[in-house]
Amino acid sequence: MKDPNIEFGDIHWLMDILQNIDVGLVVLDRDYRIQLWNGFMESHSGISPQNAKEQVLFDLFDEIPRDWFMQKAEPVFQLKTRTFTIWEQRPYLFKFKNYRPITGRAAIMYQNTSMIPLESIDRSVDHICLIIYDVTDIAVNRNDVISANQSLRELHQYDHLTELYNRPHWEPKFADEFRRSQRNGRASALVLIDVDDFRLVNANYGHQAGDEVLRTLAGALRQTLRQTDHACRFTGETFAVMLVDTDAQQAVHFAERIRKDVETMSIIAPGHELSVTVSIGVAASQPAFDSPAQWQQAASKALNHAKEGGRNRTTLYQHHS
Amino acid sequence: MTDINITEDQRDCYQELSNVAMGQAADRLARLLDAYVVLPIPKVNMIESSELDMAIQDAEKDTAVSAVCQGFIGSGIAGEALLLFKDTSFQDLAALMNYQGPLNRYGELELLMDVSSVLIGACVHGIGEQLEIHFNQGHPVVLGQHCMAEDILRSGNHQWTKTLAIEIHYTLEHVNIDCDLLLLFTEDSVVKLNKVIDYLLD
Repeated sequence: MKDPNIEFGDIHWLMDILQNIDVGLVVLDRDYRIQLWNGFMESHSGISPQNAKEQVLFDLFDEIPRDWFMQKAEPVFQLKTRTFTIWEQRPYLFKFKNYRPITGRAAIMYQNTSMIPLESIDRSVDHICLIIYDVTDIAVNRNDVISANQSLRELHQYDHLTELYNRPHWEPKFADEFRRSQRNGRASALVLIDVDDFRLVNANYGHQAGDEVLRTLAGALRQTLRQTDHACRFTGETFAVMLVDTDAQQAVHFAERIRKDVETMSIIAPGHELSVTVSIGVAASQPAFDSPAQWQQAASKALNHAKEGGRNRTTLYQHHS
Repeated sequence: MTDINITEDQRDCYQELSNVAMGQAADRLARLLDAYVVLPIPKVNMIESSELDMAIQDAEKDTAVSAVCQGFIGSGIAGEALLLFKDTSFQDLAALMNYQGPLNRYGELELLMDVSSVLIGACVHGIGEQLEIHFNQGHPVVLGQHCMAEDILRSGNHQWTKTLAIEIHYTLEHVNIDCDLLLLFTEDSVVKLNKVIDYLLD
């Protein structure tokens, strides 16, 4: 698109376009000294073309890493190829403010950049042109989609009330741990924790109080767990905890600690202060279990035993071969 | 719409065009990496949109890939370049490019962008030069990192039924670097391209 017949007068309005176009234009020479600095660059940086001219780019903007920039720019000089950077790899080249400081939701301007070779008459490339595009809106929208997907995934995994895993998300983890313990003979334990007389709590104090009991218990559980342990809301008022690298005795110790904590805990619900107790069934993994379901049944049996034995106690499943 | 196709003569001509452009791109890649690039033979085909997924899967079977695409347009001819990069290639690529930082997602993205700029730019430029068309290039877009090849295009509902596909498989000597470059032209562009090609053939 090079037209040698361009009139001298035309240069004037061509310059006007360069000056007013809402895209950053910078021309750099072989030593990365600024040769052209358009209106966009002046407005956003606060540096006038007079002050920018002949300055080395990296001296003026220390947010641009020299080595990184040269990695992108040298192929433009040497191979006469265009290169690009996108906001995903580096949010911005120049630290400019967002165009819309009030409604923009991002403090800085996200930028895509292109670098194009500028050939001189002898076809060598002594200058490159750096073009800066404002892509803040695209980046903000894209990040919104990512975080929306993230929270959808979390909604899918967590129980809304207790913020523990929900059962569909927990079951595969439990099945994995079952297989692992069968394979390596690694000790692990399943603990089922059930609130005693939960129906009475709901009946006497209302469902809001019942919810508060579950929330408080879940919070206490979360504090006691290690990173590798997985807890879930197993059924309405029952929680399941899978303890890895834990033998029967350690699991009972863990369960007793929880039970005693709950016993002394006072739960603040709207209009009431109440306390509850829990019954706990513990089943350590056994080589004889042939499915995760069998392991769960064992813990369930232990839990029933604790209930029948008078509640507020822990029972360990005894395997009889 | 009439069925768009290419004749054997036209195919040969596209093949020749791609050979030259691919050679130029390989030369630049070799200079960028200072390594020997094995010169591949481009494959030229008219493919249905349903076959594109297959073409991509064939290119990178059973391996995780990262992919970048970039649109280009000039004189009413539009297309898209797609670069599929085997994830196992990053280690050697980082060494060749003297990349110092940690090789995490961001590091890999840097390398991916650097290589795709050079390869796509040179190929598109090389084809344009021979056809005397100046192609403008859009910004590259990351289609995915660490995904299976068949998932790359899953999100796209294709607005085309047939495309001219030029597929170039790049490998490097003595190092484990492996990538696929696909140049895809839209249907209406193929009609225009065929005219330019016929002119060259005469």
